This record gives sequence, C-alpha cells and structure tokens, in this order.
Amino acid sequence: MTRKLSSRFSIAALLFAASMSLAWSQAQPIRIGAINPFSGPLALYGDEVARGYQLAIDEANAKGGVIGRKLELLRGDASSPPQGIAAVEKLAGQDKCEFFVGTYISAVSNTASDAALRYNRIYWDTNALAGDLTERGLPNFIRSGPYADSFAVVSADAVNELLAPALKKDIKALKVWIEHEDSIFGTSIAQLQKTLFEKMGAKVVGVGAHNFRAIDLTDSILRAKSAEPDIWIETGYVPDGSLLLRTMRDQGFKPQAIMMLATGDTFETLDALGAKYLEGITVVGYPHPDQTETYGPGASAYLAAYKDKYNREPIAPQSMTAYVGMQMLIEAIAAAGDTSMEKIRAAAAKMDKPSKKYATGFGVKFDDKFQNTRAFPTVVQWQSGKVVTVYPKDAVQPNVKLVNLARE
Amino acid sequence: METFFNILISGILLGGIYSLVSIGLNLIFGVVRIVNFAQGEIVMLAMYATYFCTTYLGINPYIALFLVAPLMFLFGAAVQRIVLQPLQNEPMMQIFATFGLLILFENSVLALTRGEAHSLSGAYSSMVISLFGLKASGVRIVVFLAATGIAFALMFFLQNTMPGKAIRAVIQDRQSARLMGINVERTYLLTFGLGTALAGVAGALLTPIYTLSPYIGGNFILAAFAVVVLGGLGSVPGAYFGGLIVGLIESFSGYYVDPALKQAIWFIIFVAVLVVRPSGLMGQVGAEEVGLREQS
Repeated sequence: MTRKLSSRFSIAALLFAASMSLAWSQAQPIRIGAINPFSGPLALYGDEVARGYQLAIDEANAKGGVIGRKLELLRGDASSPPQGIAAVEKLAGQDKCEFFVGTYISAVSNTASDAALRYNRIYWDTNALAGDLTERGLPNFIRSGPYADSFAVVSADAVNELLAPALKKDIKALKVWIEHEDSIFGTSIAQLQKTLFEKMGAKVVGVGAHNFRAIDLTDSILRAKSAEPDIWIETGYVPDGSLLLRTMRDQGFKPQAIMMLATGDTFETLDALGAKYLEGITVVGYPHPDQTETYGPGASAYLAAYKDKYNREPIAPQSMTAYVGMQMLIEAIAAAGDTSMEKIRAAAAKMDKPSKKYATGFGVKFDDKFQNTRAFPTVVQWQSGKVVTVYPKDAVQPNVKLVNLARE
Repeated sequence: METFFNILISGILLGGIYSLVSIGLNLIFGVVRIVNFAQGEIVMLAMYATYFCTTYLGINPYIALFLVAPLMFLFGAAVQRIVLQPLQNEPMMQIFATFGLLILFENSVLALTRGEAHSLSGAYSSMVISLFGLKASGVRIVVFLAATGIAFALMFFLQNTMPGKAIRAVIQDRQSARLMGINVERTYLLTFGLGTALAGVAGALLTPIYTLSPYIGGNFILAAFAVVVLGGLGSVPGAYFGGLIVGLIESFSGYYVDPALKQAIWFIIFVAVLVVRPSGLMGQVGAEEVGLREQS
C-alpha cells in the first residue's frame, strides 16, 4: 500500500513538474537573435535592419504576441564570418534564442546560419543577397527577401519597360554598359544582367570590373565613355559608386540614363554628389515606403511607426524589408503553433500569399530551396534631392513621373 | 589620341595623390626607420578634421589645411614622444605599436561616426578644367601642385637648413650623427611630426575628392608603401617620382589592359625594381640595409 502510494505520488510530482515546466516555457518570451553588424563600419545598416525587426515585434506584441508568447529581440554583433558563429553560439547557448534572423552581409549569414543549424534553430534571412545561400540546401535556412538575381532581373526589366520607352528607343537598338565591383556580389549580378540584356536583344557594349576600394576610377569611366553606351548600369558599394559618379561628372561622360544597383539611394550619395547632379538617376534597391498602398499595403503605416519610434525618416530602405521578413516569420510561427525547426519549415513551405500583400509589395511562396519567389526590389529615381518609386508601374504614386533621364 | 592624353593627365594627377601621401611616410621610414602602419589612418584623421572644420565651423577646406597641418604636427610629435620613443631600441615593438595605433584610430572614428559615410558638398569638388577636349578635375590639380610644391620645399629644407641637414645625417648613419653632436631624439621628434603634418596636408587636400569612411586610410597606404620602396627609402624626389610612376602605370594599365588588374601590374613592376635595385629608383644604395643593422 505504501509502495502504491509512493509511486502515485512520484507520478503526480513528475506530472506537476512537467506542467510547471511547460507553463514556465510558455510564459517566457520567444527570443529571436538578430545577427548583424552592430559595431564597426557596417553598423549603420545593421542597426537599420534591426529597427525593422523591432517594429514588427512591437506590432505583434501589441496584439498579444504569437502562440501565447511575447517576442523579444536580442542582438548578436557580427561583422565577419567568425563573429557570426560566435554571436550564434552566445545567443543560442547562453540567451536561449529560439530563432535567428539576419543578415545583410552574406558572408556572415553563411557561417551564422550554419552555426544555428548545430542548435536546430531556424535561420530566417531577410536581407542577404548572395544566391548561393539558398543553394546550400541547409534545412534551417529560409530567405524571405529578394536576392542578387532578383536585382539583376528587375534592372533588366526596368530598362526594357521603363527606360527604353522613356528614351524613345527600341530595346534592340539600346547600347548598355555594365559596370560592377569585382567581388562575387557584383560579378554574379553583372553576368546575369549581360545574359538577360542579350536575350532581350539589347547590345551590351562592355562589362567593366573595378575594385571597390580603388582610389581612382578614371580608367573605368574612360573605357565606358569610349563605348558610347545609352545606359550605364553599376553595381557596387557607396564609396566606389560615389567616386564613379564624380569621375563621370569630371570626365563629361553623359550617357542618356544612369542606373545603380543596391546602393545609391541614401543620404550618403546625396551628400557626395548633391541633388542637382543626382537628378534623374535611377536606383534598383529595396522597396521604399513611398510606394502606393495598393502595391505595398501597410507601407505608410510602417513609415509612421518608424518615425514615431525613432523620431526620424528611415536611414535606408533595408529596414522595411527586414520588417516584412519578421512579419513573415511571425506568421510562420503562428501557423506552426510551435517553435521547432521542422514545424516552422513545414509551415513556411505551405505559406502562399500573392504579391502586393506586404508593405514592400512582396508576396510569399518559397521554392524548394526556401527562397521566397515573390520578393523583388523596386526602382526609385532621384527627383529634387529625394528618391521616389518609379517602377513597377503599380507601385508608383499617381503624381509621380519619370524625369530628366538625360544628363545635362 | 584625345583619350590617350586624358589617360596621361589622369595618371599624372593620380600620381600626385600617391606622391602627396607617400612623402611623409617616406620621411618617417627613411629617418626614424619605422614602418608606420598608422600613416594611412593619420591621413584619415586629417580628412575627418577637415570635414569637421568645413561642415561645422564653415571653414573652406583649403583654409582648414593651415589649421589641420600644424595640429597634426603636434599630434605626430606627441605620438612619437609618448608611444614610440620609449620603444626606440625595440624596432619590432615599434612596428606593433604603429599597428596598434592604426586599430585605435580606426575604431575611435568608427565609434564617433557609427560608420556613416560623409562627403563634403559637391560644390568643392565639381570644378573641372577643360582644354582642347582634355578634362581634369580642379581639386586633383590642386593636389598635384601641392605635392610638387611640397617635394621642392622639403628638398630645399633638407639641403639648406640645419635641422634638414641633421635629418639627412640621421638618414645616413644614426651613430655617426650622434657623434657629430646631433640630437638624434629631437630629430626623430621633428621628423615624425613633419611626416604626420604632411599626412595632414594630404588628408585636407583629399577631403573634397573622396567619400570619407573610417577605413579610407587603408586604401592609400598599400600604394604608398609601394611608392616608398619603388622611389627609394628616405628620398623625397624618389617618393615624388615614384608616386607619378605608379599613377601612370595604374591609369594606362587600367584603361588598356583591365581595371581589375591594374594593382597587380604595378606590383609586378614594384617587385621587379626590388629585385634589380633594392634601394629603389632614387634611394641611396645600401640605405635599405641600415635599418636592419643594430643601432643605438
């Protein structure tokens, strides 16, 4: 009798402990580790991306959280691949993060996601661009944002549908110069652009590569100038992009249209070149919040929330893409009803929303490599010192028109 | 033909930038025998100081130069006295110390700017001189003229003044110079200050050309080391003409071969010169070995 009582007591105690443990874990917030550079030269954009995450988390918490738990964002500072691993180790081991989000530096995303897999944690990438991240087939890696190929595709489409008609030229009569920084980032985009333009029938009169740390790029500009292109397209970073534009100005190189990819749409470029010179230059980049509500429902609410929380305009458009990526992750958690890697992956695989459902104009449908196939950049143009969305057509505000493509 | 001359001009003007950055480095390298890894970061500090003077105090960058250069002289002299002088008999430690300074300067500016890129307003850099279809940026012409002027002034200083002669004596042989009554420590202080001030001049004049970032110093320093070794250790004309040679090689190879290969090409020439003439094109034969000799 005593034995029976004792075993019953033990079972009850175990059940009680288990239920207490469950209740405790449910009361705990879901911790999400944001892996980005938060110190060093790349911190500005790392901070900006984290602001987007935080806004989406605030929004979800205001509605009571997800699966009965609040969300909490923890930062993992990583500017280099080894730091990416260390940040994940700390956040997973010490801070018990259940998810990881990141990372606008592809090389960091690469190692950090691999480290997250060792803890069976999902790595939900919102801002890395390198194509090979999804090609690795890591079971924990899901990318909600656009990637390098999307930028190349949108640049070619925008030239075909927007710039060529504005220049009153048939695409087959159009001469294009492709300039790119010479790492894998710029090179892979340039190669795809060349293929796409040639498929469209445009004439690629040259492809130029340069080092983004070069202190003189006159040779690159003179090569392009001598090829007399109608459109000059560049993929690179802020310093080399600014130096190229300054050299174009100094050398009197005035192609009929200039298009930049990935950078060139922030105050840093405005600072360097001034509003007058930038007038008319187009940039393929992350969607800006000025687009129409039909294209990006919630974009203006996002902008208002950003200004309210941070008392300024967004520093760069990366934050809105991060915000939308976090929204998608929260939806995946809600659909999975759980935080385990397998269940989130299964829930993500079932996500299916058409384009223009999020503030960025994205939809969501992951391919078999878990790349979102409905996330694309947009095209903005510098007009009177501000960037305004000019492509795709349904993202453009009714009062906005393409201006002054031709250089003075 | 017009393109050829445009490349020639751009090469000469680029050479002016390399010369300007290298002259101060060469002076320090040649006299104090320190491979100053932080020289690029001193240029960077001067660029930010100029940016600050122009943006927040409303001082024209070319006038700010006269404020920044003396400040950098004092800064350089202080660094030499406080950090490097105590390590005078530990050449390896001095190199590590300058590397430490590099990291310190870079990270201090990072902390202050959060990595934001800054540029002076376009008005300072948009002037272009155009003649017979040839184009040259006004700010780059100023840099070239300044490099030329500084090279001549420095040569005059070294040839005709007592402190200059003391510097030359220390370049030739530190021990003999000391025996002749030259205060070697004071010469080091003067030289390091002067080299730092020249980096300050370079930084101020380059500010209107480039977008500032805490890492920009590293972009100049690789070329500057090549120029110093190519031109000749401790030789002012060597640094000046070495800079021009590297600038011209870079421009022509960038245009006629491939922009992605231009650095590789001038490094091939750099290695070839080292093999054939280790003292550099205009350096004193044997000078390159002095630094390896035990000196007190």
